Amino acid sequence: MKSSAVSFLISTQNPDGGWGYAAQQSSAVEPTSAVLLALRENLSCAQSCRRAIDWLRGAQHLDGGWGFSSRDDESAWQTAWPVLALARSGEASRVLNQAVKWLLDVKTVQFGEDAMQASKKISTVDLSLRGWPWLPGEASWVEPTALAMLALESVPGIAATDRLNEALRYIQDRRCPGGGWNVGSPVMFASALPALVNTTAWVLLALFKLAPGSILFEDFEILRTAMHRDGGVLGLAWGLLALKTLGKYDTLAEGRLAGLQHKDGGWANNPYKTAAAIMAFRGYL
Amino acid sequence: MKRRTFLRLAALAIIGIGATFIHRSTAPLGLFTFSRWQARGLKKRFFGAPSIVALGECSNYKEDLLANLRSLWDRSEIPDVQGKRVLIKPNLVDYLENYPVTTAPEMVGAVADLLFELGAREVAVGDGSAFRRETWPIAEANGLAAVLAARGLKFIDLNYDDPQPVPVQDKWLRRSTVFWLPRHVLNSDLIVSLPKLKTHHWAGVSLSLKNLLGVIPGARYGWPKNIIHINGIPQSILGIYQMLPPVISVVDGIIGMEGDGPLFGSPVPHGLLAVGRDPVSVDVTCAQLMGFSIESVLHLKLAAWAGIGQAHRIEIRGVQRERLQRRYQPPPSELKRY
Repeated sequence: MKSSAVSFLISTQNPDGGWGYAAQQSSAVEPTSAVLLALRENLSCAQSCRRAIDWLRGAQHLDGGWGFSSRDDESAWQTAWPVLALARSGEASRVLNQAVKWLLDVKTVQFGEDAMQASKKISTVDLSLRGWPWLPGEASWVEPTALAMLALESVPGIAATDRLNEALRYIQDRRCPGGGWNVGSPVMFASALPALVNTTAWVLLALFKLAPGSILFEDFEILRTAMHRDGGVLGLAWGLLALKTLGKYDTLAEGRLAGLQHKDGGWANNPYKTAAAIMAFRGYL
Repeated sequence: MKRRTFLRLAALAIIGIGATFIHRSTAPLGLFTFSRWQARGLKKRFFGAPSIVALGECSNYKEDLLANLRSLWDRSEIPDVQGKRVLIKPNLVDYLENYPVTTAPEMVGAVADLLFELGAREVAVGDGSAFRRETWPIAEANGLAAVLAARGLKFIDLNYDDPQPVPVQDKWLRRSTVFWLPRHVLNSDLIVSLPKLKTHHWAGVSLSLKNLLGVIPGARYGWPKNIIHINGIPQSILGIYQMLPPVISVVDGIIGMEGDGPLFGSPVPHGLLAVGRDPVSVDVTCAQLMGFSIESVLHLKLAAWAGIGQAHRIEIRGVQRERLQRRYQPPPSELKRY
């Protein structure tokens, strides 16, 4: 299974060295970084990884960040992905230092006192806590926060304790009443929002590295439930990856994910999903 | 001070205050754009050609939807779709059991059947979920996947559909000079916006214009698409609408949603179908049938003011308004407006 998945990834690499969200789609930062993470330990893929690294380095902006693709001028949430991938691949420090600086400097929207009070009533959240936004100048959201935390944690020797501690408080504040995480607020107009598999998985991966003691039993259970309820390739893959990282297993989910693999070795003709599946079966990023 | 001097100073002060007021009122757009849009709105309101909205009554999804839609399509004089590439854009914002959140899959199937019957060259179905990383599991959960499979229809997750930068054409989207949109959206000759008729706690109503925000690619802008909140939801709706290929509207109001929409509202057995070639006309009509005025729904109010679509001169065909008139419970954030 794994070798055919790797073959699928090798065969779908674009001539420029990157991968898109589907075979023959133009290269994008998130899928290229995810595939690099998936292939980085595979010696037979060293050349492919080198080309991916070169593509990522070429797509970095002067401000240190990355956007959606090399054609996108605006640095955004995608920056966390190459940081994670390049750091875990043992790549050049200058590229990473600039990217870390971008991550630490990125601005979130500033809320006034009225908005803070209204938010307390509508969604029960503390808007003064800062995580990371999807795009600069926006509000903080759970998934980009978890991704940025993982990215910063993966770069050795950086001083980001205050920023990470604030992000941890943000993550705690956004936990759903029954455990797990939605995209942002856990409650909206008195309705409890359901935990989602992708966000919960990324938060658990980040907490495992930075604050394992803050993970609750219900976070696991809700992740398992959300993963099976969602049933998509990404949901199963990221859910399994988080569970395995935390020493939990779910053979049913593994079976479901394996059952979604296509004859060409990939998942949904999509390098990003295929990379996620490889990491899920492997059990670590 | 002489009387004449006093009057001159007073006149100057009035002119100064007036100029400041005009400058402040029009500042985000500039006086020229503001005046141009306002003039366009007035022209549409008083001299514009009437827009047709066809209304139908249908009590459930087991009725002959195709026949109903065919009749409404003809009545509303939708342009010829022969040989065209059409993208059907249902509302797949999320799936929550027991809540009528998504467009009924039967409606999607019936619209696709009608388009093929009318000679469309290519019909695809696509949306980009606002919260979940994948849209396909929502289509599987609500039954759409089976409907598509039975017809061999392609499904496109618009969150990942090779987004392309498109120049922003007006000042509704202020953040950037380009906006990224999915390839299939840009390559379509026609988009059928096929929303579920719902209230919406930020936008007031979620109809065929609001439904179009699902084309924003999450892979570029994230989940949810927070850029619309930062830019302003009404402004984003109108800005994105104007960047798309021609859009026609088919509204699924057989079961609507009232109260805490777009996710946790209550079902309303409304029995409404609405079809039209101008999404503004269709949405104004549907909002009114829900009991909401144009003034209470900001994106419709702005569309009417700026002459984006026809909000005032609407010709209703098919079932009379009175038969379909309801009074929906407003969404929580909007309660104060009604």
